[in-house]
This record gives sequence, C-alpha cells and structure tokens, in this order.
Amino acid sequence: MKKVKIIAGITWAFSGLILIIILFPGLNSFSVSASKLPFMKINPRYSGGEIAKQIIVDKCTLDIRKPVFNGLFKERKTGFVQMDWRGSLPGLINDSIDYDQDGKKDFSISVDRNNSKTILKPFSNKVGEINISTATSYGWAVRVALVKP
Amino acid sequence: MVNELKIGETRKSFGKSLLYTLPMFLITFMFMTGGRPNFADMPSALAVLIAFLLVNVLYFFMHFTGKTDRYRAILFIIFALSLSYTLIHNMLEVRNSMSFSRSDVLECKIPFCHLVIPMMILPAAFTKSIIFPGSILGGFGPVSEMIVLWVIATIVLGRGFCSWGCFYGGWDDGFSRLRKKPLVKKIDGLWKWMPFAVLIMVMLTAALSFMPTYCSWICPFKAVTEFEKVTSIESATKAGIFLSLFGGLVVVLPAMTKKRTQCSFLCPLGAINSLSNKITPFTVKIDKSACNECYKCVDTCPLFAISRDDIKSGKVSTFCSKCGKCVDACSKNAIHYGIRGVPAGTLKNFSRNLFLFVSFLFMAIFSAGSIIASFHGLLKLIF
Repeated sequence: MKKVKIIAGITWAFSGLILIIILFPGLNSFSVSASKLPFMKINPRYSGGEIAKQIIVDKCTLDIRKPVFNGLFKERKTGFVQMDWRGSLPGLINDSIDYDQDGKKDFSISVDRNNSKTILKPFSNKVGEINISTATSYGWAVRVALVKP
Repeated sequence: MVNELKIGETRKSFGKSLLYTLPMFLITFMFMTGGRPNFADMPSALAVLIAFLLVNVLYFFMHFTGKTDRYRAILFIIFALSLSYTLIHNMLEVRNSMSFSRSDVLECKIPFCHLVIPMMILPAAFTKSIIFPGSILGGFGPVSEMIVLWVIATIVLGRGFCSWGCFYGGWDDGFSRLRKKPLVKKIDGLWKWMPFAVLIMVMLTAALSFMPTYCSWICPFKAVTEFEKVTSIESATKAGIFLSLFGGLVVVLPAMTKKRTQCSFLCPLGAINSLSNKITPFTVKIDKSACNECYKCVDTCPLFAISRDDIKSGKVSTFCSKCGKCVDACSKNAIHYGIRGVPAGTLKNFSRNLFLFVSFLFMAIFSAGSIIASFHGLLKLIF
C-alpha cells in the first residue's frame, strides 16, 4: 500500500510537471476551449444584453438591446434597457424608443453630445430614469431604468 | 559544521547546478524569444536578454546555494512591480488615466484578474454568466485565459499559487522583508481564518448584487493597478478604502510584523487556494525524526501556516504557500518539500528539484511578459 501511494504521488507530480509545460504553449487553444463553456459569457448587466432591434438612418445606427431584468434565481422587478448609437452621430440625438417591440413608443430620449445633457420623456409607467448616458469609443450609450409590469 | 552539512543536502556543485538549470534555460529561451531572438530593436533585445538572464541566474542560485525563498522572492517582487508598471503604463497610454470610466465598464474593457474568481462562482453556477465587465476572449486580460491559468496552476501548486504565481503577492512579500526583526511579534493565529470569512461574504454579496464586490469595494491592489474614476462620494469612498487597505495591509503591517498580512487576513482567493492544497501533488513535509523543535519555521512563516502543534503532529497546515522560507530556516533540514504519498524524510532532493522546476517555470513564464515590458520601458528612457 505504501509503495502504491508513493508511485501514485510521483505520477501525480510528473503529471503536474507536464501540465505546466504544456500550459503556456497551449494557452490560446485552452482559452478558446474554455470560452465555449456554458457559463463563459458576460452577464447582460455588464454587456448590456443582446441586440433586439437595429435601426439604420443615413450613417448612424441605433441598437436597441433586449431589456435586462436577470437575477440570481429569477428575474428581478427592476432592470434596464440599453441603447447604442454608432457611426457618424449628429450633435443632438433625438429618438423615440419602443423597447418591448409592442408597436407603442415607450419613451423618447434626447442627448446633447456637446454638454452630455440627456432628457428622458417616459410614455409609460414601466420606464424609470436614466441610469447611464455616456460617450463611448463607438458613439454614445444610454441605459434607461425599467420596472417590470 | 553540522548545520553546513545539513544545508549541504540541498546545495549542489557549480557544474551540477548548471546542469539542473539547463532545462529551465532552454524552455525560458523558447518562450521569451520564440526560438528566434530579434536583434533589430536594441531595447527589446536587451529587455529580453535581461529578463532571460534574471530568471535563469535566480534558478541557478536556488540549486547552487540550496536556498529557495530569497531567490523566489526576488522574481516574485519584480513580477508584482513590473505587472503594476505595465498595467499603469498601458492604461495611461490608452486612457490617459489610472482610473476607468463608465464607458470602459459599459464596453467591457476592464482587465480580469484572478481575485475576481471567488465572486463569479455562484452567479456562474446559477445564471451561467460572468459578473464582470471584461472580455471572454481577446483584449487585455481576458476572462478565459486567466481562468485557465489559475485553474491549472492551482491544481498543480495548490496555495503555492500565492507565492509562485500571484502577481500581487510580491507587494506585501516585499514590504514584509524591509525590517530585520518584527516590531509586532504576537499575532493570534486565529486571524488566518479571516480570508474564509471574507470569501463567504464576497461570494454572497456578489451573488446578490451581481457586482464583484471585493474588486468594487475592498481590493487593496486597486491602489497600484486601476480604480473607478472619482466622480462621486461613493467612488471617493472606494478610492479611500483601497488606499487605506493598501497602506495598512500591504505596506505598514507587513513591515511591522514580517508577515504577509494582506494574503493572510484578507485575500478570498487565498482561501480557495488553501482548499486546493488538499489535492496538489506537492507539499511541505516535516521529518519528525530530524526535527529538534527549535520552532524557527513557526516564527519565520509569513502566512501563519505552521504552528507549534503542527510541528508536534508532523503536518504543515493547509495554509502553506510553499514559499520555502521555513525550509531555508531549518538548520536540520527537517522541514522540506515533498510529494503527496511519499513519506516525510524520504526523496527530499528529488521532491525539491521537481517542485522547484514546476513552480519556478510557471512563475518565470507567467511573469516574463510584464518583466520584459517593464525593462523595455526603462531601456527606452536610456536609448
């Protein structure tokens, strides 16, 4: 039994040696494989959620993302919806948004990019206030708080 | 004379030490140069050469002198300093600031570090997603790469990751070496359980808030990496906490106690790594037949991993980070690197050689990028 333990221990130690030797040359392919694991995606609370609708006007694109309400066990009562404006944007952004795709506008938003002033006009009681309104490397992003109906 | 003979058990001749360094020499050469040294850009070539020589000279001296900790610590501290330098330099170039803005968070551009791992476990299990504003693949510090590195290193080294792989540990390790003798000698060993309390707290709060709470509120190393832009009372409070904890747990307390207090009392990943010590192939063993119970190892351990009771029972606790400080301090060679399943007191040299190769190789390659980048940055100032 003692000999078995010793052989098993040394085998385990040499396996460790091999693991470390192949770790760095194989890091890229290991990382790609790891990225395919089911939990390897950024939570929508950080990524902003999937794009639900894309509106293209001239050289400007508006991405309206899916509303995010996710919680640990079940959906939360409060969440947000993120809009991203990309491309060559006008100085004053003005858009009416139907975030839940029910054919009715839920709020209008106006962003003055020169002074970052953002005005939100809610058309429904599901819409809360502005969480974030900021310039990004691709244009502008706004997150509007939502309450689950 | 007796002491010299005992230390001599791990010390090797010049030629034998060179022979033992040869595999490290070849592997680090391949990794640092890609097999083709580039002499076209002088600062780059010099930076690679300095980093290459540094790791191999340190590894050579580990064999030649029979001492582990002091040479490990040199590379470990340089790793911590160079990582901070590289990260800050990178951020100043990209963002013109050490702080990140809301748009950086919104665009998921924050580098992922191993300290986030404890907080992502519960949300990953229940929501199948990572609660961190980083990128999964590509970019600077992607999530998948750091997870692969940490998982493999932790399986192989256990809590040894905290002394051979963590790019923050060198900060408090360095400050714990400033004084020759500690100003504060008596610290209750019960404090070493504190990281488990922190671990439970940050896991629960992160799961409930969907926020990496340790990173957002209490990580002392935000002070030497990156932090949220101070734009409100909340962000100012956070910055204050980061600086206070860095000053207290990473600078002042280690300098006063000669212990790695941040790693011992706060780090939640250290708690997880302690658990992985149960499966790792490499351990630190106590040869009771050789031990004269001088307790130098107990006093010298920077992580409160050995107590007098541990010496009597002949087992080092699960908190051990295999830094080698106790091994170097033991004049009887009674405490030594070992392999799981192999009885204490046997195969001492074989176990040490194998462990040093594995752990040092990991640190040398993991740290190479940031050390080369730091030397390159410094050399560019000269050339």
